[in-house]
Amino acid sequence: MRTRRMLAGALLAACLSLPGGAAFAAKERLTIDLVGEPNSLDPHVQWNPDSYYVYRNIFDNLVTRDDKGVIAPQVATSWKQLSDTRIQFQLRDDITFHDGSKLTADDVVFSVKRITDPKFVSPQLGQFDKIIDAVADDARTVTLTTQGAYPALLAQLVKLSVVPKKVVEAVGKDAFNLAPVGSGPYRFGAWQRGVSVTLNRNDAYWGTKAAFPSVVFRAIPDAATRVANLMAGTSDLAANLDGDLAAQLKTSQRAKPVPVLTERVAYLAMNVQKEPLNDPRVRRAIAQAIDKQAITDGVLGGTEKPLAQMLSPAHEGFVEGIKDLPFDLAKAKAELAAVGPKAKQEIALVTAPVYDQRVVQALQQMLVDAGLSVKIEMTDMGSWLKRMQSGPDSIPVMAFSRWSCGCQDADGVLFPILHSASGWANAKDKAIEDALEAGRQTLDPAKRLAAYKTVHERIASEHFVIPLYQAAQMYGTSKNLVWTPTPNESIFVNRMSWKD
Amino acid sequence: MSAPAPSLPRRRFPLKRWWPIAILAVFVLTAICAPLLAPYDPNAQNLVGRLKPPGTASRSFHYWLGSDELGRDLLSRIIYGTRVSLLVAVLSVLLSGAFGTALGLIAGYRRGWVEIAVMRIADVFLSIPAVLLAIITVAVLGPSLVNVVLVLALTRWPRYARVAHAQTLATAGMAYVENAVLSGGGNARILFRHILPNIAGTLIVVATLEFGLMVLFEAGLSFLGLGVQPPTASWGSMLSTGRNYVATAWWVATLPGLCLFALVLTVNLTGDAVRDRLDPHFR
Amino acid sequence: MVGFLLQRAGQAFVTIFGVATLIFFVQRLTGDPTYLLVPETATQADIEALRHALGFDRPLIVQYLGFLADLARFDLGQSVVQRVPVVDIIASRLPYTLMLAGGALTVACGIGIPVGILLALFRDSAAAKAAAGFVLAAQSMPTFWSGILLILLFAVTLGWLPPSSTGGFSHLIMPSIALGLLSMATFARITRAALIEEFTRDYVRTARARGVGPVRILLRHVAKNAAIPVITVAALEISNLLAGAVIVETVFAWPGLGQVTVQAILARDFLVVQGVVMLGALVTIGLNLLSDFLYSVVDPRIALGGGR
Repeated sequence: MRTRRMLAGALLAACLSLPGGAAFAAKERLTIDLVGEPNSLDPHVQWNPDSYYVYRNIFDNLVTRDDKGVIAPQVATSWKQLSDTRIQFQLRDDITFHDGSKLTADDVVFSVKRITDPKFVSPQLGQFDKIIDAVADDARTVTLTTQGAYPALLAQLVKLSVVPKKVVEAVGKDAFNLAPVGSGPYRFGAWQRGVSVTLNRNDAYWGTKAAFPSVVFRAIPDAATRVANLMAGTSDLAANLDGDLAAQLKTSQRAKPVPVLTERVAYLAMNVQKEPLNDPRVRRAIAQAIDKQAITDGVLGGTEKPLAQMLSPAHEGFVEGIKDLPFDLAKAKAELAAVGPKAKQEIALVTAPVYDQRVVQALQQMLVDAGLSVKIEMTDMGSWLKRMQSGPDSIPVMAFSRWSCGCQDADGVLFPILHSASGWANAKDKAIEDALEAGRQTLDPAKRLAAYKTVHERIASEHFVIPLYQAAQMYGTSKNLVWTPTPNESIFVNRMSWKD
Repeated sequence: MSAPAPSLPRRRFPLKRWWPIAILAVFVLTAICAPLLAPYDPNAQNLVGRLKPPGTASRSFHYWLGSDELGRDLLSRIIYGTRVSLLVAVLSVLLSGAFGTALGLIAGYRRGWVEIAVMRIADVFLSIPAVLLAIITVAVLGPSLVNVVLVLALTRWPRYARVAHAQTLATAGMAYVENAVLSGGGNARILFRHILPNIAGTLIVVATLEFGLMVLFEAGLSFLGLGVQPPTASWGSMLSTGRNYVATAWWVATLPGLCLFALVLTVNLTGDAVRDRLDPHFR
Repeated sequence: MVGFLLQRAGQAFVTIFGVATLIFFVQRLTGDPTYLLVPETATQADIEALRHALGFDRPLIVQYLGFLADLARFDLGQSVVQRVPVVDIIASRLPYTLMLAGGALTVACGIGIPVGILLALFRDSAAAKAAAGFVLAAQSMPTFWSGILLILLFAVTLGWLPPSSTGGFSHLIMPSIALGLLSMATFARITRAALIEEFTRDYVRTARARGVGPVRILLRHVAKNAAIPVITVAALEISNLLAGAVIVETVFAWPGLGQVTVQAILARDFLVVQGVVMLGALVTIGLNLLSDFLYSVVDPRIALGGGR
């Protein structure tokens, strides 16, 4: 009896000493619920959406995308192509870091060199390694040199954050990670491990000042709990919901669903070197057995759009007018019947928990209805990634996948999926490979479009992969929040405001 | 004084105490006769008829208990789900019980370094989080119902071992066992004829408690994405996915949830009744 | 006594070492975290470079020896995902798990023990039957289900409690209830059993014969003796609670070590998993030791470690 009382007392004391910040959303503070906490806030050391959501607001980049998805100036006011391989940027002169020091060309050069330094081993290296040199011509001008013509350069620079050279060199990598200093609309406030990251408004920001004095990003792994928080009014924005959960929000007084089409492309990945998919008739049957509209409208809730090519309209390299085979179950069955017993081999549809299992099951059922023998094989994400990049001899026969390069450029999507230089690829199609190489070596948009048109048409006729739909991101927000989300899934807090 | 009135023969299984067994029998029968009872194929999808309330219809389906997020008949899935829940629970309890009891018996009987080795290995398995064991098993052996059983057995056998060990220690000290040893009985004989029957009662009690837990653990593994493979219907996975629909389509989670609840509750009640009969302390 | 404790301490050391080694090799069976750290567009060359920088391309035995060397210096290493020391991660999240376990234990005992007392004293009353039914029902639901129901009821519909996360005492209430529900019946059973056992003892019969009221007997004499088996069970129940905390922490976004464990395992953050598992092993072994000791006190027939 006494033990229990003592226990209760100690517990109470411990709880009361917890930071007692207001748990309920106040007008002053915006509360955003993410799936997990950031891995780190140093923009160069990780590749992780939850980190990205947060540090996007702490740092500025050379260029950014506006709400319509068009590349727009940020730290750089203008740029000029000096030659196929050299591009010169003019920088703003009114940007200061959170510690008061000015942002100069030296900081931009430092940032580029840091992320492309092989010794730094940034996971993002592969996206910037075509930049072979960066030089500060003067305090406001930077010239970048690329290895050959690199048409996706600006698209990739949207993701490269500018860090202050003096601070990073003074404190070192580990300390900078714990107390990042940037030039963005919010400065780093506090990080309560496992719970939340708090940012405070930078009142000396050069650009659009934020409407909220502070913003807190919380980690709430369970989607149903994120929805509950919205409905209870304890959060103002939640990321990574799905259509069915959003339907619950439709009945809520406080919150509403906010869907946005993204640059993620959902597709059926296949290993066309393996039986029975090495037979084009089987692949054609698969293409005709899948009812994309039923998946986007029936399973997913209608925001997603079926695609006939492996790019979304938000991508550079998207070609209008590409057509693929329409849904025709009868033809699919006939096609497979003609192939005979070989088509009855058991196919494993490999997937991981992060993928929408409703879609995976719907796909499996559609293929089974057509006459294939498909079994779902669940594995963990690490194993899935390893197997999918293991080369044509061991890539799983079939998998449901969603691809995002974060760059909105065809090169970032098609090259890794189809060119034999990449571990993901197994198509071994010379026409496609030549076209992909042509597309990445010229800066001429018309030539690129022509090259990618070849790729799309080859896919539509040979079915090396089956594009399914353009994925959507479903956010939930308070009804009082005014915000237009962007296809590249960045949450820019300074572009939001309250309704009144 | 007149003779006492003749009383009714004292029933060994009064219906009042043992009604949970009747419900369990219903579950078992449902599992066995699933193909006869289920109106539709539990995996047959109908994307046009998703999330239909109980009593409605769509195309050729008449949904007595409603449909789930892919338009599959909930009643059929619940009926087939009985198989998964019961199979997983029974097999894992048998496997972990047999293995754990055997080891615990030997440890408690032989003592010395055998005891130390077994009990410390049991500690090792108790220290490894079940989640870790589950993920590694799935990654190495591939996912399947058999592997779910394996994971559960690997995590739970130490509990049987500890109980068997402690009970064996207590029993082995008893006079009649010492007599058996003195009179030259072989080890196996002593174990099986004298010790095992004495500790069986406690172990059966543990097993009945574990049975309910195994049903719940299977649900927990499904929640973490490590359970029985989709599209196989298991109450645990239906309950887990159904959480997302609680406000809009309550039947998707609530009905399998009620079945899960009923199964575990009746198992626990049966366990209590068994315990009352077997363990004199607890009467 | 001292000999027994030393012997068990030695065994504990070996056991923890065994756990650490087992986990080390078993985790690496499944690969390494490199694929999870890079974007899809990373080339094989990039991946190899990162793998080399993180040291995962060395032979397993070399990695193991490096791990042992660090362990000898009490260095648990750095999280490969968060780039902070493992010790910092564990230290910052451990208090939350302790709070949750404490809260759940309070709920489980606070309801389970009174129900057990009720069942022991007033076996056939309607109240006792209802109480027994309640705790049994509580043990028959998965925590992720009872969790979301609690959230929907108390946070969304009634607005009395915050739905999740941490930030004050009110945040601890629902997770503690959700986790504590599972153990109530266990405490009720053991309390009832222990009390009934005590009631059959001579000294109780003597006291009753002398006319001492049942409540007085309960409080002054029986409670002390019945406490031992209850505490024995509590020690074991804590292990169960810690295991069940994994799901409760995920549903309620409670930032304890359960969440850390799941996320680190999925992200293949080997050293974090290693650290948490070793800590867990220490706790499990400690609790088992305690429970073995108490059990031997209850039943003196069981020698604490001698042979025949």
